[in-house]
Amino acid sequence: MTRLLDLLRNPADLLLPAFVFLFFVFIIAPIAIVVWMAFSAQAYIGFPIPAYSLKWFYRIVEYEPFLNSLIVSIELAIASTIVAATIGVPAALALARSRAGFADGLATFLLSPISMPQIVLGFALLFYLSALGFGVSFTALLLGHTLCGIPYIVRTVLGVYRSQPADFEEAAAILGANRWQVFRYVTLPLVRPGIFAGGLFALLISMDNLPISFFFGSPDTNTLPVVLLSYTENQFDPSIAAVSTVQMLLALLALVVVDRVYGVKHMGAPS
Amino acid sequence: MSKFTRRTILKVGGIGALAAGMPGGLVSPRALAEGQRITVTAFGGIWEKMIREVMVADYEKRTGNEASVLIGGPQQWMAQIESNRENPPIDVLMNTIDLALIAGRTGLAEPLTVDKVSNLADVPQPFIDIVEGYGVLFTYGAWGLAYHERVKNPPKSFAEFVEGTIAGKWRAALPNAGYTGTPQILIWSLADALGGSVDNVDPAFEAIQKMKPNSVFWTGISDPLIQLETGEADVAIYVDGRTWAHYDSGATWIRYINPEEGGVMQPAIAQKVKNGSDAAWEYINSLLSPGPQAEVAERLNYGLSNSKLQYSDKLKERITPWEKTRFPPFEKTGTAQREWIERWNREIRA
Repeated sequence: MTRLLDLLRNPADLLLPAFVFLFFVFIIAPIAIVVWMAFSAQAYIGFPIPAYSLKWFYRIVEYEPFLNSLIVSIELAIASTIVAATIGVPAALALARSRAGFADGLATFLLSPISMPQIVLGFALLFYLSALGFGVSFTALLLGHTLCGIPYIVRTVLGVYRSQPADFEEAAAILGANRWQVFRYVTLPLVRPGIFAGGLFALLISMDNLPISFFFGSPDTNTLPVVLLSYTENQFDPSIAAVSTVQMLLALLALVVVDRVYGVKHMGAPS
Repeated sequence: MSKFTRRTILKVGGIGALAAGMPGGLVSPRALAEGQRITVTAFGGIWEKMIREVMVADYEKRTGNEASVLIGGPQQWMAQIESNRENPPIDVLMNTIDLALIAGRTGLAEPLTVDKVSNLADVPQPFIDIVEGYGVLFTYGAWGLAYHERVKNPPKSFAEFVEGTIAGKWRAALPNAGYTGTPQILIWSLADALGGSVDNVDPAFEAIQKMKPNSVFWTGISDPLIQLETGEADVAIYVDGRTWAHYDSGATWIRYINPEEGGVMQPAIAQKVKNGSDAAWEYINSLLSPGPQAEVAERLNYGLSNSKLQYSDKLKERITPWEKTRFPPFEKTGTAQREWIERWNREIRA
């Protein structure tokens, strides 16, 4: 109460909280509207919503391409994140401790997949991977998504690892640990927050990726964003909102699981 | 049938195989495909459902072959075929007219003949000529004027639409330069309706400039439906089939008129991909068959190409006869559209 009276006496103090509140409204309102639309009983997207229904969620199951492409997207996101981590973590570890002159340049180069328009990258990859014999396939799609996931993992692991002194590893080595033991018991625990954070980014970026997936869709490998784009171009009903709501819930679920298993607050550099 | 699907790859540890440098085992499913399974394309949503339930069903029933449906869009499919010319991942392409012409001229599509596709004999010649023989018109929409019922005296022609918009009688919804059909459905159409031509689009640009204060512009095909409902616009340049589909979905306030000059023909072209399976010819035969086409008309509210097709009474009132549409000179609009878009960005900036 006293705090409120203080604020009323000094209206200027209200500016920051008001700005923060409006900022959150600005960010959250579009998402809230999408979720709200998902419960509309109307056969097309429009306001006001005359009645509420769950039928658009049923549509996700009924319209086969939605469910199939959602499964492909999840499988692809998990697989590409694992491959990106398998490549990105050793690369980041090597670059972080390297004294070679090209190390910084190479670290920057590894960010290049996200520094160019992804539609250009997707187009180029289509022709490149086709020339290599991969054609339009899940493998090609996996390679494309992996390429986009690597920068996130490299950057976060690099940042975390560089913030740690080499003393821990040197101490372990002096005490008799071999290279594998140093990596397993010292390095890996140190960089784990970076791997989790980068992996989570890579996973979510893959789930949401349209420009790469667009070029590699086949009847068996179309991802959810590609199907959604094609659907919205030809049909105007709230099932898109329902699918988006489910996708948001899955992302939220992933965050909750990571939080429970590891703790989101641990995703920074260890202090 | 593909031996290696994404599930197989994941199950047998394809990731490890990849790391071990065994890409040869994971090549395109198409390369491992059996002879009589074809891949056909469809736009998403109601289109895909129609293709799968009507056309693929008819094809599979008649031939005993299988057809997989690839959802997406023409730019995506064209790029996939172009990058795999010798072993295309698609056998039958559903294309827009501008890309269909390019596909024909660059050797991505094969010419159609009656001996390969018997139902072609019942298709009016303009529907084959429109794509220079490298495909056939499957279905078409007419871009006329959709409006809200609150407009008591809607325009009867494009000329009247332009005049009324400039005079502030209603607010118009016009496609902007970001929509792929704008060169045909807006720029050429208005030029043609206002005394210009494909070689002289000044009347169109002058009209759009004057209409701008009383217009909203859209990029997404569904945007005008929202603009009409919310009152942002009262009259929209829009396509007949979608207008009626929206009406049937509960938006009973929407109306459509085919302007006196004629709505602009927007065809969907079916093409056989060069080096694709020969089984694709029979699928195109299904696409052109009057029985399945009647079912498609009922579902999509669009006109179809077989002259033996009999529309129901309801559809007769809705579907714009192709003779009452205007065919843009697609070849010329395709060539000129880059210049028009640059001009749009300089002058209209909407």
